[in-house]
Amino acid sequence: MSGAIVDLSRAPQGDLTVECCVVGSGAGGATAAWELTRAGHEVLVVEEGGDYTGFQLTGRDGAMYDQLYMERGGRATSDLAITILQGRVLGGGPVINAADVVPMPASVARHWQTKFGLADFSPEALAPFEAAALADLSANVPEEKQINANNAALREGAQQLGLRHEIMMHDRVGCIGTGTCLIGCPINSKRNTRFVAIPAALDAGARFFLRARVTRIEEAGAEVKKLTLRTLDAKGYREERTLTVRAKIVVLAANAVASAQLLLRSGVGNAHVGKNLMLQPQLPVTAFFDREIRFFRGIPQAAAVTEYERLDDPEHGFWGFRIEAIAGTPGIVASLLPKLGLPGKEVMSRYAHMAAALLLVPDGPNGVVRVDRAGNPLVDYAMPDEQKQRYRDAIKAAARVYFAAGARSVQVPYARPLLLTSERELDRVDAIGFEPATAPFLSAHQQGGIRFAPSPKDGGASPEGLVYGTRDVFVLDSSGFPSSASSHTMAPIMTVSRMLARRIAARKGG
Amino acid sequence: MGALSGFQALSRRRFFRVTLGVGVSVGAATGGLLAMRGGAPDVAGLRVLSAHAYRTLEALATALFPPGGPIPQGAAGMDLARAFDGFLADEPAHHRRDLSRALFWLEYGPVLYERRAKTFSRLRDDERLAHFDSWATSQSLLRRQVALAFRKFLSVVFYDRPEIWPHLGYDGPLFGDRSGK
Ligand SMILES: Cc1cc2nc3c(=O)[nH]c(=O)nc-3n(C[C@H](O)[C@H](O)[C@H](O)COP(=O)(O)OP(=O)(O)OC[C@H]3O[C@@H](n4cnc5c(N)ncnc54)[C@H](O)[C@@H]3O)c2cc1C
Ligand code: SF4
Repeated sequence: MSGAIVDLSRAPQGDLTVECCVVGSGAGGATAAWELTRAGHEVLVVEEGGDYTGFQLTGRDGAMYDQLYMERGGRATSDLAITILQGRVLGGGPVINAADVVPMPASVARHWQTKFGLADFSPEALAPFEAAALADLSANVPEEKQINANNAALREGAQQLGLRHEIMMHDRVGCIGTGTCLIGCPINSKRNTRFVAIPAALDAGARFFLRARVTRIEEAGAEVKKLTLRTLDAKGYREERTLTVRAKIVVLAANAVASAQLLLRSGVGNAHVGKNLMLQPQLPVTAFFDREIRFFRGIPQAAAVTEYERLDDPEHGFWGFRIEAIAGTPGIVASLLPKLGLPGKEVMSRYAHMAAALLLVPDGPNGVVRVDRAGNPLVDYAMPDEQKQRYRDAIKAAARVYFAAGARSVQVPYARPLLLTSERELDRVDAIGFEPATAPFLSAHQQGGIRFAPSPKDGGASPEGLVYGTRDVFVLDSSGFPSSASSHTMAPIMTVSRMLARRIAARKGG
Repeated sequence: MGALSGFQALSRRRFFRVTLGVGVSVGAATGGLLAMRGGAPDVAGLRVLSAHAYRTLEALATALFPPGGPIPQGAAGMDLARAFDGFLADEPAHHRRDLSRALFWLEYGPVLYERRAKTFSRLRDDERLAHFDSWATSQSLLRRQVALAFRKFLSVVFYDRPEIWPHLGYDGPLFGDRSGK
């Protein structure tokens, strides 16, 4: 079988039988597809997004969120408290992510071994797969000239205060700093799944079906599984035709929400499916400077204040909080800022003088994925008080950093706008209650939902990724992660996916 | 981020429909409620929204983005409600229905929650903004959700317009689409 990308909205296909069907072409799916194909397996990847590269990525919010993000950018928790950002495009999340490459700390791997019984996830066992992931991503540290004023302001504040900080590795090669990474790179500078694993899998013979959604898995305990696919129209808005794919091996890599959703709507798996979801919600803050910052040009996210994160918390592994620079196009920034009317315009008129950061707070398994009668995912998330306190602490820490870097004011995006003009006002942050739908939390690093565990009593899938109660239905995305793998999930997912895919290939004698 | 965030989740809330139903039937029982909003405006070519819903959304857009201040343009004349109508047309049927209901609810907000004799689109711009702010900070999760969802959508489409960018000091995407579409 020769490799091909087939857009099912344009080229209808008949039912077919393959050896292995991979659901989702993102960090986990593309890596697994490449690994399995090069081991000699016949692989079909089903992806509900389209293929967008180069100048098809127009740099405009409305059109790009519509086409590159799950549910047109509109996925959120059931109470609307947290926007759940996930890619929906050939290549998945890496196409629209911030391109940061942060491997899983060794202490987290050890935490998984000791707390969750994942004996095979030792740092030593993961090391070669992590090295391969970093090589795939061309992981490199941005050059000093690529650090824009937004990232430099965060770093400067941290330096002034003597706080630990870093410039993160990234997957960019030849970046010219357009600043639109979160709606796709128009010059294909991000060396991610779309440009590495997918071409390699194609070369090795994998087929990719685009604009097709897997809606059901049946006969999950049989040697040959039956998958129902619904094809979508050219923009991915509506389901059109139905197609059946039969496969001996099924690999779920649809993302932490969608993989659990697919099992739930199929009635496959045990009672742990959908449980233990982590969203790692992030809260944006903005700072205003007299000097021009122009955060919309250059790499949006490179600098991070790491002083307050803990990588070896005995209870949680990765814990605490991080502060990371971020930027956004005008529409997105305006949608996150609290003021409207003329005061809102006043704030936006200082867009070129804004700096912004995301407060990244790792969480426990506070979320649950359910499905409604039509099979749509519903994500419930209860944020504990302890977590809310870490956001308050993070706001204060970020404000101190920005004031140290010379900011005039720091804006906290809360329904009752809070503008801090000096450190003396930090106590005001204590009044923030974070009631649902009052602050624009964003989730980009969903994990869990089909937790790996050595026994079906404790999780939804085995440490090999095998979904309990099935025969050869595997989950190779972050759904299996029992605690937050890292501040950024792409490299850890690629690492784990490759390790487990290689084991599947070996098991089958590939 | 999450340009259109919230609409899908909003419309999936089971009790959303129920709450709207309650609000509207209470109103209807007091009589004359529908008459309060006045006749439908004359708008052609809508794909999903009713003319009344269109007017509510336009009234919201012009309150959120009035003319003047550091950005001379306001939402009036930009037809942001039509952009929403276009967006909605490609949403699943239950989203279309529920979001149209949310606009209906917003229209009667001043009557239901402030005991005023005017519906939303009949208020002055500043009154509308104040009323909408009261939704954003309301004790009711549902009202906060409606406020959040509509303000996000309208902010994205207003500030995505190239004629606004010079007033922000933004020179547009370096590559790609710099048109007014
Ligand atoms: C805005 C944003 C910024 C981020 N920044 C970073 C960063 O800088 N660094 C980092 O390490 N991580 C980052 N992440 C996270 C990282 O990109 C994701 O964790 C990672 O892509 C998840 O990999 P995955 O394989 O689980 O799923 P994805 O990469 O999300 O891929 C899943 C794919 O499955 C498809 N799919 C879903 N359901 C179905 C179905 N039923 N049928 C067919 N196809 C389906 C989707 O369309 C999607 O393309 C970011 C994420 C976002 C959203
Ligand atoms: S900043 Fe660099 S990587 Fe990001 S979109 Fe622009 S050119 Fe591409």
